Amino acid sequence: MQELKLTKQSEIVNELLARYGVKFGIYKNNVFKEQLFPFDTIPRVIEKENFAHLEQGLKQRVMALNCFIRDVYGEKKIIKDRVVPEEFVYISSGFLAPCDGVTPPKGVYTHIAGIDLVQGKDGEWYILEDNLRVPSGASYPMIARELCRRSSPDTFEDNHIEDNRYYAKLLRWVMDYVNVGGHTVILTPGRYNAAYFEHSYLAEKTGAHLVSGNELMVEDDYLYFVDYTGKKERVGAVYRRISDEYLDPMTFKEESVIGIPHIYDVYRKGNVALLNAPGNGVADDKGIYYFVPKMIRYYLGEEPILQNAPTYLPFYEEDMKYILEHFDDLVLKDVAEAGGYGVVFANKMTRQEKEDFISLLKKEPRRFIAQEVIDFMDIDILEDGEKTPRKADLRAFVLMADEPLVWKSGLTRFSRNPDSFIVNSSQGGGFKDTWVLSQ
Amino acid sequence: MGIISVENLDRLFWLGRYTERVYTSARLFASSFDRMIDVEIDNYAAFCSQLDIPNIYLSKEDFCSRYIMDETDPNSICSNLLRAYDNAIVLRNEIGSEPITYIQLAVYDMKKSSATRAPIVGLQKVIDDILAFWGIVDDMIENENTRNIIKTGKRIERLDLFGRLQMDRISIQREVHRLAGRITKTNLHYDTAMLSELQKLVEKEEIDYARVVELADHLRKD
Repeated sequence: MQELKLTKQSEIVNELLARYGVKFGIYKNNVFKEQLFPFDTIPRVIEKENFAHLEQGLKQRVMALNCFIRDVYGEKKIIKDRVVPEEFVYISSGFLAPCDGVTPPKGVYTHIAGIDLVQGKDGEWYILEDNLRVPSGASYPMIARELCRRSSPDTFEDNHIEDNRYYAKLLRWVMDYVNVGGHTVILTPGRYNAAYFEHSYLAEKTGAHLVSGNELMVEDDYLYFVDYTGKKERVGAVYRRISDEYLDPMTFKEESVIGIPHIYDVYRKGNVALLNAPGNGVADDKGIYYFVPKMIRYYLGEEPILQNAPTYLPFYEEDMKYILEHFDDLVLKDVAEAGGYGVVFANKMTRQEKEDFISLLKKEPRRFIAQEVIDFMDIDILEDGEKTPRKADLRAFVLMADEPLVWKSGLTRFSRNPDSFIVNSSQGGGFKDTWVLSQ
Repeated sequence: MGIISVENLDRLFWLGRYTERVYTSARLFASSFDRMIDVEIDNYAAFCSQLDIPNIYLSKEDFCSRYIMDETDPNSICSNLLRAYDNAIVLRNEIGSEPITYIQLAVYDMKKSSATRAPIVGLQKVIDDILAFWGIVDDMIENENTRNIIKTGKRIERLDLFGRLQMDRISIQREVHRLAGRITKTNLHYDTAMLSELQKLVEKEEIDYARVVELADHLRKD
């Protein structure tokens, strides 16, 4: 691809992003700070055919994950058939006993899935993790694309890029599909949440009402929004951007002050849809990730189109043996952590740290997974006007109503540190737009 | 959905109040500063007294710097602008992204103005941003009730400030008239007896400014 005119407008684009308040929140020493999310104008470009392959694989994966969640909280066939060991399901912190036997409206659990991938130097895409609880990030490429078009219209006339404007429509379509009658709202923990910009932006773009927990109430098994005159309006779908454990103090964490008492009872009775469904964490647990290819074979009778990064479970004796023999070549992840935390590269540990880690691994084998370090493709970013390569991943968004649909865009996150594989915004990473070519 | 929660009603109202407070205090500061340059060097004490804010400043320079920029001084222009921002940022869903950009620009322009020895030039940009914000509120916010709540906040704040500044009768009368025309278009709960008293008060020869301020501040009942 020839030099893009857009890259000459980097300063203007970033000024516009600042003007539009494209930020994320971060706590440093218990003090909340808003930071601009650094944007790099060189896009990740995915060829049409390559994306078609990705799209098929992502749909397949999310369908299998949806089947898994339904099964785990329903018949539990996959456990009875010993495809996934019950130890991995029931001791997962994402498995929520109150969800057992509860089916969400239209049987959809994974309304919005954020699937993290990397592209190896061989061109192959590898799945790094599935985010099925409250994946964030779609708003950033949405607004960045709009401001890039504004800053460099020529770029978008000269290149054939799939339009990414339709994410809001897609999201609204999913919300309306599962809505059981009444308004659709987006539930936010509030201004001091890291992803508050996204909550408010998606509410604006979808036309849903942005609410906090104290604006909703449960009465006679229905959920209502209460306006300032005291008038109650029924709510039929809640795109909740708060975690399961804080959703309802009567069912989950009783100390939650951001949830809505008894909302889970309303959900259980089928009187409101919750997006994503509570309990999804059982399927995006890093330990369960290992079994997703098996789920695809089990539920869909198909071979997985997209591969996992080669993963080992110390829980299995054979895998433990491999991990100990190849320890220095592996990256180890604590299954309970997220946001790039709890990830350690064995080759960066001191001898003492290795010894301590191995003894912990032997003591708590279910707590960790080990993965081969994928030599993933670098992507150029602009630094002081010069192109320089950095590690980057891709979060693809798959939305599910009567069928899964893949958004032809996505959030590309990159590490700003040349020696780091960690791309998370909370750890200083930046983002790029993801272009899917239409020709 | 077109319905407004109690929290958002309050935020809209205070967005109106804080933007007005920034606008009027910045303009007032600009005119006072002009005299402080070469005519009334220590006039800042009178300025504080007029606005009924504590004179915590050590010198003209200290005043000029802290009254504009000190985020920890609750009476500073910057502090009031940040309160406007705090309210705006949680109202994207009610007022839209475009109006918020003007508050965000005002924050950036305020921060830039701290680096200059000519603060009025920087403040002029902040004033321009606030004026643009009010323009876009009129132009882009479809919900009439939402617009009227913001404007009611603005009118109450202006009346409060004008009362404290003991502005001339014509100006106070005009503000009461504008407020009465606006608040009745909202679904806000307000004290009708207080509004009538305000309307009568400004017809008198001698205006009881303290009472004007008191009535303005207690008019809203929510």
